[in-house]
Amino acid sequence: MTAVDEVRRIETDATPTRFARGWHCLGLAKDFRDGVPHPVKAFGQELVVFAGEDGTINVLDAFCRHMGGNLSQGTIKGNELACPFHDWRWGGDGKCKAIPYARRVPLRARTASWPTMERNQLLFVWNDPQGNPPPDDVTIPEIEGASRDDWTDWVWYTTLIEGANCREVVDNIVDMAHFFYVHYSFPTHFKNVFEGHVATQWMNGVGREDARPQATQSGVPKMLGNTSVAAYHGPSFMIDDLTYHYEDGDVDSVLINCHYPVSENAFVLQYGVIVQKADHLPEPEEMARKMGDFIKIGFEQDVTIWKSKARIDNPLLCEEDGPVYQVRRWYEQFYVDVEDVSDEMTERFEFEIDTTKPNEAWRAEVAANIAARASS
Amino acid sequence: MTTHRPAPRPDVRLDDGAMEPVTCTTCSARVEVRKSSWEQTSIQWHGEALRACLERRATDPGCRPNATFAGCSALDIAIREAAVRGALPVQSGDPLPVNPEGESH
Repeated sequence: MTAVDEVRRIETDATPTRFARGWHCLGLAKDFRDGVPHPVKAFGQELVVFAGEDGTINVLDAFCRHMGGNLSQGTIKGNELACPFHDWRWGGDGKCKAIPYARRVPLRARTASWPTMERNQLLFVWNDPQGNPPPDDVTIPEIEGASRDDWTDWVWYTTLIEGANCREVVDNIVDMAHFFYVHYSFPTHFKNVFEGHVATQWMNGVGREDARPQATQSGVPKMLGNTSVAAYHGPSFMIDDLTYHYEDGDVDSVLINCHYPVSENAFVLQYGVIVQKADHLPEPEEMARKMGDFIKIGFEQDVTIWKSKARIDNPLLCEEDGPVYQVRRWYEQFYVDVEDVSDEMTERFEFEIDTTKPNEAWRAEVAANIAARASS
Repeated sequence: MTTHRPAPRPDVRLDDGAMEPVTCTTCSARVEVRKSSWEQTSIQWHGEALRACLERRATDPGCRPNATFAGCSALDIAIREAAVRGALPVQSGDPLPVNPEGESH
């Protein structure tokens, strides 16, 4: 039994030495279709992403198995990537297809290739330290709006975050209070469910008059609140099905919040927005951009915190905090061999927060902020 | 090949009150529950309980990208009854609200 007046010590386990098993989004697929190979640092390695003439996007280890040339400096020739050093031609399957100056390709002319998938106009790469192919039941769901004309295109953001492990961003899915303090939202309902490889968050909220004042001109509809269902499908790709409720109707949107690890202490954070076009929404593209820019402010504040915070494996929680320990237990499944995934990592767990006390405190804080502004 | 990772730690809040078993009065699914307050509940399911849950089987999750089973209303009632009976502790220690906020709308 710990004495109540004893100083609580922060416990920090080593960061994992491997990278999560799962689909990781590398960005908008069209950005890789510009006719040149793209270097990507991910999973502690250097990769090269290239689209062949057939349109298939491939991911290979960046370094040519011949003399180590960097293929991302090479040239796409047909469906193959040619090394800048000696023109060895590599196919998307990792096999050397031709060496123009040689009679034949040597045996063992095979490099590492990563399984890829295009979905929702996004490019995904499968990482598995054990080298297994992606199972059919572990995938990224279709987002209808991503391929429909009555939705906007993705407004997409990419940022490299150095000095933090990507677990910090995953913790966010359970951290109700930080949505008020860091992202300027006002959660009134908050629930998590973890099951299998999916972690879901239900969050309803109201507007923050102190942070995002409502338009005061007549004829501009007032925002009444928002409902959100957000879920991680695997270790790194979150879909947020987000609806804003306005006086004159709903605005449906989908946000993506995803990342891929660069090293154990750096990751690339990406996020994107699409908005459904509606009669009562005159400028949906502008709406998507404004939403994205607002999300950007929140993430920038997250990043400042992540870069200076301690990695903490024994967080001290109050009852009004979310299930931090349980989401980490869920997240652990992606860091062990697939045969070591235990029931407790994947069995369904539900956690609903009583928002009564947090809402009382936040209402008072919002009122105080508005009053302080009025008197200044 | 096996992986050696530190075992996930238990939630520190369980030191103040553990998860307690509750059996659903509709399908007999047995889960572990902790009630932090009258409006705050955590539920640990196991495979057998999930297979037993009738509501889960009957619920169409819908077609939105994050479509999933949000929770079982029959189990929620069984949990509430267990708390009202005193069989399941409520950590906040507050008396049963006469007109709980959750039921007013």
